[in-house]
Amino acid sequence: MLKLTNLTKKFGNFTAVNNINLEINAGDFFGFLGQNGAGKTTTIKMITGLFAPTNGSVHIGGYDIQKNHIEAKKLIGYIPDQPFLYDKLTGKEFLFFCGGLYKIEKSKLKNKIDETIDQLKIEQWVNKRTEEYSQGMKQRIAIASALLHNPKLLVVDEPMVGLDPQSALLVKNALRRKASEGVAIFMSTHSLNVAEEVCSRIGIIKDGQMIFEDKKEVVEEIIGTDHQNLESLFLHMTK
Amino acid sequence: MSLLIHILKFKLLTFIKVQGDINVKSAVKQISSSIVYILFAVGIFFFTRNIVTYLMEDVRIGMFLLHRFIFVVLFIFFMTVNIGNIVVSYSTFFKTREVGFLLTMPISFAKIFLIKFLDNFFYSSSTLLLMVTAALAGYTSYFGLPWYFIPFAVVFLILPFMFIAGTLGAITLLVIMRFAATFGIKKVLVTIASVYGATIILFYIFSSPVQLVTKVFAYFPNIDNYFGFLESPAIKLLPNHWVADALYWISSGKFTAAGWYVYLLILVSILFFLFALYLAKKWFYKTWLVFLNLSSELSVKKKSNGKSVFSFEKKSSLMPRREALVKRELLLFIREPSQWTHFIVMLFLITIFIVSISSIDVMILNAYNIYLKTLIYLIIYLFNVFLIASMALRFIFPLVSLEGETIWKIRSAPLDYKKLMLTRLFIYFSVIFVIGQLLNFVSNYQFSIMLTLISQLNTAFVTITLVSLNFGMGAAYANYKEKNPIRVASSQGASLTFLFTIIYLVFLIVLLFAPLSNYFYEFDKSSLASLSQLIYTSLILGTFALIVSYLSISKGVRHFLKDI
Repeated sequence: MLKLTNLTKKFGNFTAVNNINLEINAGDFFGFLGQNGAGKTTTIKMITGLFAPTNGSVHIGGYDIQKNHIEAKKLIGYIPDQPFLYDKLTGKEFLFFCGGLYKIEKSKLKNKIDETIDQLKIEQWVNKRTEEYSQGMKQRIAIASALLHNPKLLVVDEPMVGLDPQSALLVKNALRRKASEGVAIFMSTHSLNVAEEVCSRIGIIKDGQMIFEDKKEVVEEIIGTDHQNLESLFLHMTK
Repeated sequence: MSLLIHILKFKLLTFIKVQGDINVKSAVKQISSSIVYILFAVGIFFFTRNIVTYLMEDVRIGMFLLHRFIFVVLFIFFMTVNIGNIVVSYSTFFKTREVGFLLTMPISFAKIFLIKFLDNFFYSSSTLLLMVTAALAGYTSYFGLPWYFIPFAVVFLILPFMFIAGTLGAITLLVIMRFAATFGIKKVLVTIASVYGATIILFYIFSSPVQLVTKVFAYFPNIDNYFGFLESPAIKLLPNHWVADALYWISSGKFTAAGWYVYLLILVSILFFLFALYLAKKWFYKTWLVFLNLSSELSVKKKSNGKSVFSFEKKSSLMPRREALVKRELLLFIREPSQWTHFIVMLFLITIFIVSISSIDVMILNAYNIYLKTLIYLIIYLFNVFLIASMALRFIFPLVSLEGETIWKIRSAPLDYKKLMLTRLFIYFSVIFVIGQLLNFVSNYQFSIMLTLISQLNTAFVTITLVSLNFGMGAAYANYKEKNPIRVASSQGASLTFLFTIIYLVFLIVLLFAPLSNYFYEFDKSSLASLSQLIYTSLILGTFALIVSYLSISKGVRHFLKDI
C-alpha cells in the first residue's frame, strides 16, 4: 500500500531524510520511532504530499504522490500532530467540509459523520466552534476527518499528544480496528508503550536514516535477549 | 519604564531577526521591494511638484487657496489614519495571542496598551508616512525650501499629526468597547458611525471650499495674502488646519508664525496620548473583558440559531466538493467580524461615492473645456478603479494566506489546487466585478451608450487585472501563520501590491487621456465621435489583463504548491 524508494529530503546542505526504503502492506500497523528532529515529520510530510522529495519516490496504492497526487491522496487519511482547524467552523461543519473534499455523497456523508462521531465519542461538543476546543478535542476531530472516506492508508503523526487516558484508549481502539479491517497504518510516535502495544512493525529513524525496521515479533525477540523493554532498546539504538 | 523598554527591545529584536533572516530569495524580494518603493516615492515627488506648479502657475490659485487645498487633503489623510487605526486596533488590542499572554504577566494594562498601540501605529502607518514624506519633498522642491525642512516637517508636523489621528482612533475604540457593555455594541457602533458621518458633513459645511474660492478671488490679484478671517473659526480647531497653516507660513518665510502651530501639534499629540494612556489604565482590562463577553455571546447566539442558510446539512445543487469549498468560504467570511465589517464599511463608502458622482456627471457635461472634461471624467474613472483596487487588496490579497495553518487538510486532500484556487477566486471576483460594473455604470450613464459600453468593458479588464495581480502577489507573500486578514492586507507584500496598483493607475491615465479628450472634442463638434481610438485602448487593456491574469494565477498556484 505504501512504498518509499530511496526517499531523501534536503533543506539546503542539511539532509533531513536520507535514502529511506520501506514497504507497508494492507493491515500493517507500522510504528515510526525517532528522537526529536530525526526526520519523522519530514517523512510524513513527503508521504502526504506536503513536501516534495529531493530524491526518491513515494508510491501509495501504486500511485506516485508527486506524479498522480489526486489518485494517491484519495487513498490516504492524514492525522497531523498539531491539527489546526478552521476556528470559525464547528467540528461537524469541518467534517462536512472534509467529506466534500473527497466528493462523498451527502446522505452517505451524514451517516458516516454520525457513525464517526459515535465511535470517537465527540457528540457533546461537535456543534461548537473549534476555536473553543482543547488540543485533545481538535485531535479527535482530525482523526474523525481522516476516517470519513474509508482510507486505505492512515498516516498518523503523534496521535496521543494532548489526549486524556480515555480519549487515548478510544483512539488506540479505533486505529487497531482500522488495521484489522485491512487499512495500512503509518504512525509516528514518541509513546513507546503505545507502539509496543498496537504496532505490528517497528521502524527507528535516526539523523534521517532508518537504522532499524522489522516485525514486532523480531523486536520482542531482541528485547527478550538484550533489553528490558522497547524503551531500553530505543535508547540503546539512538544514543 | 525599564519593563516597557525590555518588552520593546524584544519586539524590536524579533522584528530585526525576521527582517534579517536573509537568503538569496528574500534578498531579491527585499531589493525589488525597495526599488519599487523608491520609484513610488520618486513618482509622488514629481506628481506633487507638478500639481503644485500647475495650481500655482497655470490655474494661479494663490498661496492661501493652495494651502486650503492641502488642508482638505490632510483632512482625508487624517480620517484614513484614524479609521484605519480603529479597525486594526480592534484586532491588535483584543484578538492577538500576545495580549492574552501579556495579561498573564505582572504588567500594567496601560503598558500593554502602549506596546500594542505603538506596534499597531508604526505597522499600519509606515507606507502612508513614506507617501507623505515624498509629497513633502515635492512641496519643498517647488518652494525652494532647504532640504532639512523635510525631516523637520516629518518629525514636528506630520508625525504629531498622524499620532493625534492614531491616538484618537485608539481612544474611540476604547470608548466603543467600554460603552458596548452598557448599551450594546450595535447601538454604540451606530452612534459612532453617525458621529463620523456628521463630522465629515460638518467639515464640508464649515470649510465650504467653493464659497472660500469666491471670497478669496474677490481680492484678486492679492490672493497670496493670508485670508484666515474669511474662514469659520470652528475649522481652526482642526489639526489639519494647523499643519496647512504651518506650511503656509513656512513657505512664506515667516517661521515664527509657523512655530506656534508646531508647538500646538506636539502639545495636543502629547495630551491625546496621555489621555489614551489614562483611559487604557482605567478601561483596557474592562474592554478586554467586554470583547470576551461579546465573543461568547455571539457564540451562544450562533448555537441557539440552529442551522444557518449555509448549513452543510442542507441539500445543495452544487457538486459535493464545490459545495464544501463555497460554504466554507462563506461561513468563514460571515463569522469573521474583521471581514464583514470591513466589507460593509467599503459598501458604505461606495454608496456615498455613487450618490456624490451623480452631481459631478452634470459638471462634466457642462464643462466648457475639453481637457477639463477629460480630466474630471478620468478622475471619476480612477476613483472607480481605486475602489476596485482597494477591495481587491483587502479581500483578494489575503486569500491564499487565509488558507492558514489548516492548509494540511487541503494539501493532503485529492484536489486539483488550480481548480480550488480558481473557485475561491471566482467567489470574490464575482462580487468585486458586479460592484465595479455598477460603479462604472453610475458614472457613465449620462454619456453616449457606446462610451458607456466601452467603459464597462474597460472596467471588466481592469477588475480582472487587479484581482489577478492581488491574487498572485498574495500567494507570493503568503503568511499562513497570520490569521488576521487586515494584517495580511497591510503587510509588506500588500504595500508592494498597492504600489504596483498605483503604477497601473498611472498607466491607465497615460493610455486613456488622449483617446478620451479626442472623443470629447469630436463629440462636441458633431455628436458622432469616432470610437476607434477608445476601442484600441480597450484591446490594449484586454491584452494586458490576459497577460497579468495568466502570469499571476499560474504563479499564485505554483506558490501554493510549495513545501509547507
